[in-house]
Amino acid sequence: MSNLFVNPFHFSTISENPADMLGDFYSLNFEKGRVDPDSMILNLGPQHPSTHGVLRILAELHGEYVLRAEPVLGYLHRMHDFMGQVKTPYQFLPNTGRVDYLHPVAWNWAYCGALERLAGLEVPERAEYLRIICCELNRIASHVMWWGAFVMDLGGFTPILYAFEEREKINDLLQIVTGSRLTMNSMRFGGMGADLDDRFLQKAADFIPYMRERLKMYDRLVTGNVIFRRRLEGVGPLDEEICRRYGATGPVLRGAGVAYDVRRAEPYGLYDRFDFEIPVAESPDCLGRYLVRLREIEESLKIVEQALARIPAGPYKHPKAPKVSWKPPAGEAYFAVEGGRGKIGIHVVSDGGKSNYRLKLRAPGFSNLSLFAEAARGTLLADALAILGSLDLVIPEVDR
Amino acid sequence: MKAQEIFDTWRKMGALLLCRHDFRKSGLSFSAFFAPDMVSEAARGLFEAGWFLEDLSAMPVKEGLLVTYHYAAARQPGRLAVRALAERGRLTSIAGVYQGAEWHEREAADFFGLEFIGNPNPVPLLLPHDFPDPPPLLKAEKDLAAMRDLGLFGQAREILDPAWAARLGALEKGEGAA
Repeated sequence: MSNLFVNPFHFSTISENPADMLGDFYSLNFEKGRVDPDSMILNLGPQHPSTHGVLRILAELHGEYVLRAEPVLGYLHRMHDFMGQVKTPYQFLPNTGRVDYLHPVAWNWAYCGALERLAGLEVPERAEYLRIICCELNRIASHVMWWGAFVMDLGGFTPILYAFEEREKINDLLQIVTGSRLTMNSMRFGGMGADLDDRFLQKAADFIPYMRERLKMYDRLVTGNVIFRRRLEGVGPLDEEICRRYGATGPVLRGAGVAYDVRRAEPYGLYDRFDFEIPVAESPDCLGRYLVRLREIEESLKIVEQALARIPAGPYKHPKAPKVSWKPPAGEAYFAVEGGRGKIGIHVVSDGGKSNYRLKLRAPGFSNLSLFAEAARGTLLADALAILGSLDLVIPEVDR
Repeated sequence: MKAQEIFDTWRKMGALLLCRHDFRKSGLSFSAFFAPDMVSEAARGLFEAGWFLEDLSAMPVKEGLLVTYHYAAARQPGRLAVRALAERGRLTSIAGVYQGAEWHEREAADFFGLEFIGNPNPVPLLLPHDFPDPPPLLKAEKDLAAMRDLGLFGQAREILDPAWAARLGALEKGEGAA
């Protein structure tokens, strides 16, 4: 009873509940590895603006220097693997739009591609073009949002407002084909859920020159800014070797100078018919990763432009595409696509039953974030946050 | 090193079973089954040959807990799968070779109750530390499928360990070991 009348303004270092005093399971575990008795342990997140969603980072600091850091995951874990094993393939489709909220179309594609590969399903040519158009527009939106959020991490608030303007325009387009603006779920096994119309073609054709102009503005506003460059140049160098040890892919690996892109390395859809480059950075630091993403927007615009010019007439879904009650045949398949953050992989195993026997999602952000502990060691705390931002994390994707 | 060359070295490394896959149909080039204490050595060989670990995909089957390591390379096409059946739920950690494996192993430990000997930080990663048993992705005995019914053995096989002939079972009757 007396607990009800405790003065809330009275601060005491002695708590009745020992768990309040000693930290939780993860901070206790982190504390065991303390390297300096005079250091301070900082608990960053899980509700912190610079951690983009609910990522938690435990950092041991000496002054402003990070001696050691460890990400703590699981705050957004929803167990998609399990849902993929109890739902039917069709029932699980909407889940794929909820793994990565910035590039859902790529996850749609990875899952449909895995089951199409498993069952040997064909996709009509028009649907392949639609997939490429949607996926690349969505990639642009993803990179643009990263651009705004990353600059905000470094203290520049304005760019994210411009980024949202671009994203709204892309969402207006994607809404025509996918029917949604965030958790897109547009693909079906053997094609697409809907076709595009003339309104889409016109709007998309207008968007390409608009976006090219905006990229020039991005450079004038941010890329050339001396404060911005000083925050990034030489900060967080990640070479090919560290990327390989941690399985980092996407712009992080291309930032290390390796021209590895699933669209070229493991061609899927009709990407082998398109003319585009794989940008790589000249320096493996935060600035390199920044420049790679901006150049990737240009390349995606090139792909969309070619796809819009060449899209053939025909069905957007195969006439023999599976019905809702479809049971995939027994077997195993792995399908990878290039997402905004890197290599998205789906490993599906079926025993011929109505739901998958095993579904494993490979999230690029998971592997990219795993190198953070090593990359942050010995850096200034502010630089560690720049490194974290340069990895382009989407926490729901990391946690799945 | 090319996928085919790695495949040839696996034979010398003491693989139990070697499988060739059709990449267009399965997304895999080659796979091999190893004893659980050999996965680390297999990882070392792949690391030196320029490959990276994509993911670790565990799965309960009738024969036990099957763990599949998927590997890809930035400069070589194809995908390799190293597989092992965990012995009493245990496997050697490969986090000493691929540091990124630490998280993959912790995730598999959360979902399947696997134990990776030598993992530098074996605490839960995605599930709460007090998550009640059993691990969520284990299956009931009646729902388990045999490996040969899941199509894990690819298009052509080479049995190097006689014990595996029985596991391939009916599969080999018509075609024989390749």
